[in-house]
Amino acid sequence: MPMKIAKATFATLTILFLVAPLIAILPLAFTSSVILTYPIPSWSLRWFEELFFADAWRRAIVNSLIIGTGTTLLATILGTAASLGLRNRLILFRGTMRTLFLLPMVVPAVVLGVGMQVLLAGFGLTNSYLGVIIAHTVVAVPFVVVSVTGALAGIDERVELAAQSLGAAPITVFRRITLPLAMPGVLSGAVLAFATSLDEVVLTLFVAGPNQRTLARQMFSSIRENISPAIAAAAFLFIVATVVIGLVVVLSRSMLAKRR
Amino acid sequence: MAEFIRFERITKFYGPLCVVENLDLGIEKGEFVSLLGPSGSGKTTLLMMLAGFEQPTSGNILLDGTAINAVPTHKRDMGVVFQSYALFPHMSVGENIAFPLQMRGIGKAEVDERVKRALGMVQLSALVDRRPSQLSGGQQQRVALARALVFEPRVVLMDEPLGALDKNLREQMQLDIRDLHRRLGLTIVFVTHDQSEALTMSDRVAVFNKGRIEQIGTPRQVYDEPATRFVAEFIGETNLVEGVVEAVQGQEATVRLPSGAQIVSAVSGTVARGQSVFLSIRPERVDLSEARGEARNVLETEVTDSVYQGDHLRVQLQNATHPLIAKLGRRSREFPPGTKVFAAFSAGDCRVIAP
Amino acid sequence: MSAASSRTGRSLILLAPLLLFLIGFFVWPLFSMMSQAVSDPAVLKLLPRSAEVLADWDRKSPPSAAMQTALMEDLKAVDDDQALGDMVRRLNSARSGFRTLMGKTTSALDETANPPADLVSIDKRWEKPEFWLAIADALSPYTDRNLLAAVDFGRNAAGEIEHLPPDQSVNSVILARTFWIAGLVTFFCALIGFPYAIIAASLDGWKRDLMLGAVLLPLWTSLLVRTAAWFILLQEKGLINDLLLTLGIINSPLALIFNRTGVIIAMTHVLLPFMVLPIYSVLITIPKNLMPAAASLGAPPLRAFLRVLLPLSLRGVASGGLLVFISAIGYYITPALIGGPGDQMISSIIAFYATGSANWGMAGALGMVLLVATLVLYSVYARLSSEEPGRR
Ligand SMILES: Nc1ncnc2c1ncn2[C@@H]1O[C@H](COP(=O)(O)OP(=O)(O)O)[C@@H](O)[C@H]1O
Ligand SMILES: [Mg+2]
Repeated sequence: MPMKIAKATFATLTILFLVAPLIAILPLAFTSSVILTYPIPSWSLRWFEELFFADAWRRAIVNSLIIGTGTTLLATILGTAASLGLRNRLILFRGTMRTLFLLPMVVPAVVLGVGMQVLLAGFGLTNSYLGVIIAHTVVAVPFVVVSVTGALAGIDERVELAAQSLGAAPITVFRRITLPLAMPGVLSGAVLAFATSLDEVVLTLFVAGPNQRTLARQMFSSIRENISPAIAAAAFLFIVATVVIGLVVVLSRSMLAKRR
Repeated sequence: MAEFIRFERITKFYGPLCVVENLDLGIEKGEFVSLLGPSGSGKTTLLMMLAGFEQPTSGNILLDGTAINAVPTHKRDMGVVFQSYALFPHMSVGENIAFPLQMRGIGKAEVDERVKRALGMVQLSALVDRRPSQLSGGQQQRVALARALVFEPRVVLMDEPLGALDKNLREQMQLDIRDLHRRLGLTIVFVTHDQSEALTMSDRVAVFNKGRIEQIGTPRQVYDEPATRFVAEFIGETNLVEGVVEAVQGQEATVRLPSGAQIVSAVSGTVARGQSVFLSIRPERVDLSEARGEARNVLETEVTDSVYQGDHLRVQLQNATHPLIAKLGRRSREFPPGTKVFAAFSAGDCRVIAP
Repeated sequence: MSAASSRTGRSLILLAPLLLFLIGFFVWPLFSMMSQAVSDPAVLKLLPRSAEVLADWDRKSPPSAAMQTALMEDLKAVDDDQALGDMVRRLNSARSGFRTLMGKTTSALDETANPPADLVSIDKRWEKPEFWLAIADALSPYTDRNLLAAVDFGRNAAGEIEHLPPDQSVNSVILARTFWIAGLVTFFCALIGFPYAIIAASLDGWKRDLMLGAVLLPLWTSLLVRTAAWFILLQEKGLINDLLLTLGIINSPLALIFNRTGVIIAMTHVLLPFMVLPIYSVLITIPKNLMPAAASLGAPPLRAFLRVLLPLSLRGVASGGLLVFISAIGYYITPALIGGPGDQMISSIIAFYATGSANWGMAGALGMVLLVATLVLYSVYARLSSEEPGRR
């Protein structure tokens, strides 16, 4: 019995440690004060106003949306195509390529950032949206590959053979069978790519100019330089977005599961 | 009847592994041919080459007299039923069955009409809007069958289609498929490793072993007149006894067993005097009695064990030099262990097989 | 045959875009970062003519007239004083006496009224091959200077590798600190994560879902949001200090932010999911009846745990630990925002060299150290996690 109580206490405390910080920040988004402390003197939406109407924040949000969309498109297209190519077991260096595709997840962001800055400077792409999108795509593409490869691995190859024998040409098999079956994986890959881009700071520090300051980058410097409850408001938006994105992914996973 | 499908000296290698070796096989239009053999003997591979999923390493496959090696799968017009059914998980039952018709550019009204008929044929009309995952194994199997038949393919290929069903359902489906074959005049190539399934359903059975066909013939032929030791052992149960040929008289040979007994037996293939051979004696063809009867072949034996198995009595016997098994009808009397009995069988009920 | 080869062709066409993209924007940047670390074309750029002539020199005989003329031409053409100073410093560290020699030479060359015939006429030392040798070595576009400096080594006047004096030995301190912080974070993650995973795996229904959800939610939340949250909690007037003060546990606020404590708390929070999930995924493959079985064979709970559950789950702890450690050594954001100057890890130093002082050579060299450490640990991790589960 004491063992059981000890376990329950430990689990509760750890859950608190994991979740409480995220919850504690939420009410501060609605403070009327300029400092980020409890107790909250009175409620107000002024920091959301700041977020959406102050120039720096509004531009950061717009930039994040532009760069996130670009990254999502590029990473999803490249990653999905490559995952399809990786299905062929006859390809040489298949394992090596798969490792290469996943490696950007592992390499420390600062290391990649240094190299990327040198390289993009060479192309004249620093301080450009394209440069930031390229950098974000490098780190977002592994998530697409993992997600789409997983979905493709779940497709019974005989289903595609069956379609062929029923008279479908290879391109029709792809359009009518493979793609629809892989779609949940593609979608959750795209969502993960967007989330990765949204949260990327380090590469952005290295390759983006003042005109491509993203929301995450803006949060970083605002925590560093002049912290204000606008941070809490931004965090609030992030957490809400996370829950929405999480729901989308969980739903598409269960959609995938239901089909099998 | 004209020969419809012809495998001509087909060889298939997977890397260094020879899976099908120099195989010749002809199948007639409207025929039901089973490819029967143990797992790994190359049956699926042969079927996959016929469907166009795999290419033979050498040799030709002819359909209606023309080589189809270069024809891609989707233009071969063959309905394939897989063991796992391979239904499209994201389409309803109706969409699954409509798929091959849409691929052929058939108009919507006719597609609906034919899907309806196909569903009626397999008695699934009520389930047209279900997803495959909402069906039982037997229902999925019927959908797969309807999908493979609805476009009236030239040949229907089935790879162990009943393997995943339980025994009762499997036997029901065996009869249903046999019935469809007769009614629609289909040409069916059917892969199985279950000998009773092959015997039940087929016009002819091709017995596979290690990438070769050991024997091809009607169910009666492969059971009663096994050409090789492998066929005799693989299909049904048999007693194999070694001996030496003493004399050959037409379709019969006299074989001396190590115990000295002489057996007169029908012959598969050709044997010569002095040759070492096997005798295959089906257990259910052996009669037991305590008196030496009039039969041509009689062996003196002693009962070592006897087991009642419901539909038959299985008696294990020991001759001076070799064991023997007899299966007796359920009306037979009991033979307690230790009883001395004579095992008798006619020349037509055993078979000389060259090793 | 042709079907197979056209399928291969299709696959290659599908793979090519990402392959080229990553070679261009992932492999190539890393490669150019590493080449920054070992390349030093500064001297070569200043003395192009000398480089040409010196290539034919046998490195022993006294300088030829052509060598002297080329060097004179090069020196006269230099208009970047900063670059010249860098070169002289480098030459002087290879061969002492170069500073004075160069000073004398350049001022002699500046005298346009009375141009010197050759270098030897300016200073006798130009006759000695040692000085030319130093120039010839400095002309090589490759250097190990940065790599050595990254681990606090350097070359002395004789060209031997030796430890840098303590006042220049900052990098090994930072490397040690990086591994120490990463090790501590890994330790705390294991300390919390292992029992947590065991408890979660032993439960079912909503309790298990709750415990897993509590791990997944932070994992899914933006790193910046989590860091911001800790920033708010840990600050002097933050919730934690408020709570402790109200409860009367402390009398004056604790210093929790801009120091090591804060960094470790925040990083443990951020990385804990990477510890819990691998352990949990190993634990759920262990049949639930093993512990009762051990008990029925007479093992008391602690012994049963030590002999049965612990050995079986060690693989998960090892993967989780590696994952946490690998992530931790590359961390930048959390130490940068929550840590003080004494808590900066190797990533911060790399960023400082790259953006703060534009010393790409040092940034590249330290980046290479971090990259190699990460890749080595990752290959261990990959081997560990690709092993068949259930193998002992
Ligand atoms: N794609 C393949 N690559 C390599 N070997 C294969 C492949 N497909 C089948 N084989 C091998 O070929 C042999 C025959 O297989 P198969 O035709 O499936 O036998 P069956 O259907 O009679 O059980 C087996 O030894 C199998 O391992
Ligand atoms: Mg098979």
